[in-house]
Amino acid sequence: MLIIVVLRLWPLVLGVNFSFTGDGDRNGTWVGLDNYVTLFGDPLFRTALRNVGLLVLLLPVAVAIPGLLATFVYLRVPGHRVYRGVYFFPAVLSPVIVGAIFNLLLAFDGPLNTLLGGVGIGPVDWLGDPDVAIFAVVGVHVWATFGMALVVFLAGFSTLDPSLLDAAKVDGASLPQTVWHVIIPSLSRTIQFVFVTTMIGMLTSMFGLLFVMTSGGPEGSTYLPEYYVWIQQGQMNQPALASAASTALFLIMLVVGLVQIGILRRAGKEE
Amino acid sequence: MKQRTLWSAALVVGLALTAGCGSAAGPGSQSGGSGDKLVVWDWKSGDAKAAGYVEKAKADFAKKHPGVEVEFVAQPFDQYYTLLGTAIQAGKGPDVILFNGGGQIRDRADALAPLDEYVAEDKQRLAGWDAFTKAGKTYAEPVTLQGHPIYYNKALYEKAGLNPDAPAKTWDDFVENCGVITEKTGAKCFALGNKEGIGIQFFLSALGSATLTPQEYDDWIAGKRNWASPDVKRIFELWKQANDAGLNTDGANSTAMFNDAFAAFQSGKAANVIGLMSDIGHWKDFAEFLDADKVGVMDAPVVNPAATPSLPYDGGIGYGVAKWTKDPKLAADLVRSLTSTDALKAFYVDGGAIASDTTIDVSEGGPAVKTIVSEVKTGKPALHVALSSKTIDLMGRLSQQLLSGSITVDEVVQQLAASDKTG
Repeated sequence: MLIIVVLRLWPLVLGVNFSFTGDGDRNGTWVGLDNYVTLFGDPLFRTALRNVGLLVLLLPVAVAIPGLLATFVYLRVPGHRVYRGVYFFPAVLSPVIVGAIFNLLLAFDGPLNTLLGGVGIGPVDWLGDPDVAIFAVVGVHVWATFGMALVVFLAGFSTLDPSLLDAAKVDGASLPQTVWHVIIPSLSRTIQFVFVTTMIGMLTSMFGLLFVMTSGGPEGSTYLPEYYVWIQQGQMNQPALASAASTALFLIMLVVGLVQIGILRRAGKEE
Repeated sequence: MKQRTLWSAALVVGLALTAGCGSAAGPGSQSGGSGDKLVVWDWKSGDAKAAGYVEKAKADFAKKHPGVEVEFVAQPFDQYYTLLGTAIQAGKGPDVILFNGGGQIRDRADALAPLDEYVAEDKQRLAGWDAFTKAGKTYAEPVTLQGHPIYYNKALYEKAGLNPDAPAKTWDDFVENCGVITEKTGAKCFALGNKEGIGIQFFLSALGSATLTPQEYDDWIAGKRNWASPDVKRIFELWKQANDAGLNTDGANSTAMFNDAFAAFQSGKAANVIGLMSDIGHWKDFAEFLDADKVGVMDAPVVNPAATPSLPYDGGIGYGVAKWTKDPKLAADLVRSLTSTDALKAFYVDGGAIASDTTIDVSEGGPAVKTIVSEVKTGKPALHVALSSKTIDLMGRLSQQLLSGSITVDEVVQQLAASDKTG
């Protein structure tokens, strides 16, 4: 308890307080909400917030992919043991290494574009086109982290009653029907848990990938709030503005966290 | 249950917040400044290529102040200014600090002690002071010079049937030559990397002296920048036209200048590159791949007949003294040792940097380095170095939009003018 107060809450209060002071010539003086006005007037920060919204929208995809793959592994498709290992493998790589690998693969003259060129599709500037880059980075992030969610799903499957599946099979249910009517309802708690952890992962641990793959570019299109904080503090020497951005990020996380806690609690009551 | 989840939520957001605030105080954040010890922060001393330099500087300092211990703390460059920002906020940290010239040191001049009274003797011997000066006061002594020569691959020029020793004097001839080279060898005109928005900085500075009139150039450096002038606009138009005409290597917006664009030049995929003079992406790096005799340096091809091309360069890196140090004179003496002729010579020989000391003999280094050093005398400060880091950041993003065609040159100069005024 004391540790939390001293090492977490107190710095938090200091950080919020700091965000109401000025930078540069106004260092240390009280400037009220000036930093927040600057912040929300900055198109870069607005892009960063919009990208957070985009991440929330992409969340179902990021959860569905490991869910589906776990289903296949559970249903023992041929080679499921191999897949189980292979799927988890990227989760042990550091984001920097993953970013470096995909920088090579997605380069304009890289192998992916060569492959696309081979089937007659023009080269795509994966990391250089502002409309594409954020999806490329999120895609790589999902690739790099879905192994963990997959393991959680597999653990959830182990609690699934096999007689339900057998009953479905006897009744002649197709695979989509089995997934929809048997597996998803039985795993609702697992799915909710994966939603929460994936969301937190997306909001907090994309920095490494962004740093290596796009540096927030092209045209600032892949900025996220935490990257913005880093740039303002380290590169622009505006720590107070960075604190304001941190506080804004904190509030977003707070809202997201509370909503998710609410969902979890409601799910708990249903059982 | 409810309590626990709330706490864990608080913990997670707390973590995110402290991470954002740059909680990394860093491994080397000893507060130096005791009478007999000086702490130096840099990102160079860990590099094997700089070992000889550090050794020579230490020896020089030990001769003058035998009792004083000097500790070099090498920080990773990625994190350097973040860590330094933390030290400055705390008001304690290293005594002697390495800086990049221009915006990086000027933004932090408040935390430094003016050195003018200690370094007067070195003013003649060294070049590149302007980049470390703010409001008439000098805050660091230059170690290297950094600038943006236009390098060209003489082998490709030869292969295309052009005279490698007589590069184009005007922009039109230059573009024409590029056409010939592309046709004969398949190589592009420019190796360009603009992923971090660095490409435009180099382009602006390399072609600035060939586009602006000498008066406009000097005004720009003096802070009287007229963004609406047709000559300033012309530079950004050239930037766009060069890309639209296919002069650049593909995918410039997703290519890193360091080192993918330089690699493209070294491997002969492009005939020209706007490079650096020191550290990396320079004559010595290129000479390792292309023979030293095959690396040429040309004057910027003239765009505007009223312009006089000159080498754009500034002080590259230099050591300053923190204002919280106990004995500024002692720290300034260390800075002077770090810029002694012997030390700088070691930096030039081992690291391939163009040192700020222009009395060093470079005749062994090949034609490119000879051309560069001979042009230092007539050179002028680079245009982009005069801009604030905020404006440079904006320029990077706008330049990417110019390449992708989502903005016009008029809008670009308008936005830059607005940022330049407030920044």
